[in-house]
Amino acid sequence: MAKPFDVKDCALITMVVNIPPVFDLRDLRERLRICPEESLYHHFCQTLLRPTFDDPEVHNDLAFWARHNLHDKTLAERLAILNPYDLGTLEELRFAVLDIVEDRISELPHISNVATGDEFRFLRAMTVIFEAGLSLKSPGDLFDAFDRMTRSSIWYHFIEARRRNPDHLDDFTCWLGQHRKQDPALIRALAGIDFYFLSLREIQEELVSVGKNRAGWRGGS
Amino acid sequence: MTRSLKDYEPVVGSSVIRQLEQLAERVSGSRVVHVNSTAKGGGVAEILSWMVPLMKDLNIDASWEVLEGDDAFFKTTKTMHNGLQGDSVELSEEACEAYVRSNEENRDRLADRLENADFVFVHDPQPAPLLGMCPKRKGRWVWRCHIDLSRPHRSVWKFLVPFIDSYDASIFSMTEFSQLLPHPQFIIRPSIDPLNDTNRELDEQEIQETLSAFGIDPDRPLLVQVSRFDRFKDPLGVINVFHIVSKVCPIQLVLAGGGAVDDPEGDAVYAEVRRAAKDHPDIHVLNLPTDAHSTVNALQRAADIILQKSTREGFGLTVTEGLWKGKPVIGGDTGGIRMQVINYHTGFLVNTVEGAAHRIRYLLRNAELRGQMGAKGREFVRENYLLTRHLREYLTLMNGLQRGLDRELLL
Repeated sequence: MAKPFDVKDCALITMVVNIPPVFDLRDLRERLRICPEESLYHHFCQTLLRPTFDDPEVHNDLAFWARHNLHDKTLAERLAILNPYDLGTLEELRFAVLDIVEDRISELPHISNVATGDEFRFLRAMTVIFEAGLSLKSPGDLFDAFDRMTRSSIWYHFIEARRRNPDHLDDFTCWLGQHRKQDPALIRALAGIDFYFLSLREIQEELVSVGKNRAGWRGGS
Repeated sequence: MTRSLKDYEPVVGSSVIRQLEQLAERVSGSRVVHVNSTAKGGGVAEILSWMVPLMKDLNIDASWEVLEGDDAFFKTTKTMHNGLQGDSVELSEEACEAYVRSNEENRDRLADRLENADFVFVHDPQPAPLLGMCPKRKGRWVWRCHIDLSRPHRSVWKFLVPFIDSYDASIFSMTEFSQLLPHPQFIIRPSIDPLNDTNRELDEQEIQETLSAFGIDPDRPLLVQVSRFDRFKDPLGVINVFHIVSKVCPIQLVLAGGGAVDDPEGDAVYAEVRRAAKDHPDIHVLNLPTDAHSTVNALQRAADIILQKSTREGFGLTVTEGLWKGKPVIGGDTGGIRMQVINYHTGFLVNTVEGAAHRIRYLLRNAELRGQMGAKGREFVRENYLLTRHLREYLTLMNGLQRGLDRELLL
């Protein structure tokens, strides 16, 4: 029998990184080489946890800056499609971003810069992880609990977990896999949520929907 | 009226309340002191008036101390405030002495509470020297800067830095306001209280009574800007906007504000605005008392469009208030207004009088768009700018300061 699923929650606070701001692509290339890993992690993985306007087009800060401040749509599109959870480490992410920026610099006849106020500033965050006070005993409990979880719990278990778990699996899938009566169709339904391109509200809605419809899946839970 | 955390559950949901309770457990019993320079008027006093009771509700021993000072002190800190926001000002030797002297007098009164606190949050430049004057301090001291520090006048900033650099951390409202300082700098955006008199739901009768009291016609379009009478809020620019738009549309304008104890320039700016309005029957310049929260609420709810045409802005809580009331906002392209007004989603950012006039005309002709923007703005505030998010970030910071500022902290 699997152990209960103890729901965790997290809260973050954004911190300033003491490296100069970025006004053009050459600045960006230089800062990307020296910025701390925590900063890359923040700008690519933690954006959903911060007060921000849900932009359906881009889910990382560099792509947002390229589109809205630098007004380089080509660069923005290339950065927006980068999914950090497909890459093994943050250093791989650093090289992937640098590669895109280097390519773009080589394509442009001249490098434009942004006005003061539109510069990109590298940030990082401090995250506190704590027990949410929910202990779930069965898969049914889990599916029923999705709409009671905070969005940050959803982020921690469904998104951030992919950096911690083998095979980039989320915590819910891992735990469901420990049950003898696991339902492959349900697990596939969870895996089918395109998490990196949805807001946390949308992810939570999809999880709740999977839970509500589980009786319709083969085997139920 | 003191509210408990549970009162906010219908607005934010039970999971958000449970999250705050869990996060507060590890700092339960801590002695927290907030210090600022005014008990009424302005965004900081509003924030502290809810934050302190809610911290207490979470079993944190929180208190709020207000600096006492003479005219020379408040004149100095107002000059300092203007200089930190970019005005070319100089602090005289006498002004600097008045600043330090007032802080010493307050130290004599507050030292015992401050030195025994586990966390001290010092808000804005006025009380900044207190840290250096409390050598027996035991807790963590945080300087919380609410103003736009993106381009401070250098001589004023250089005068202030020695009072700040020994703090354990600083908090700024925007990344752009951070400075080179020898301690960690955090970003916490401000927030509003959805249940206070400024933001609570009002019935239609109360709104209509307010309009009637000020002679405002409920059947004609209404533009409202609520802010202190401060040149950075560009009230004269707003009057020019009115004159452009009123040529083609029978609009009415309300410029509602009031002075705060720590703002001696307010009366002079109010007089300038009255002169510019020239008793025009459709320009209502209202110098409201600091406790006219329900009046402000009614005016914002009656508005078709909320204006905040600032040329400099810390965060712009009046923008947040307008969005929460389901109104599109036309705001100056500066400071925290940029974080809240998203073009074509929650309103429009403008850089000129002409730009503001153009967007007003566009929105007044599109009632459906105004409704869509208003609905989007309200949800945007619910997710990001209510006091529960703000409180969560303070609790996160307190946990971090107590246990180390690592990337991840497991409680």
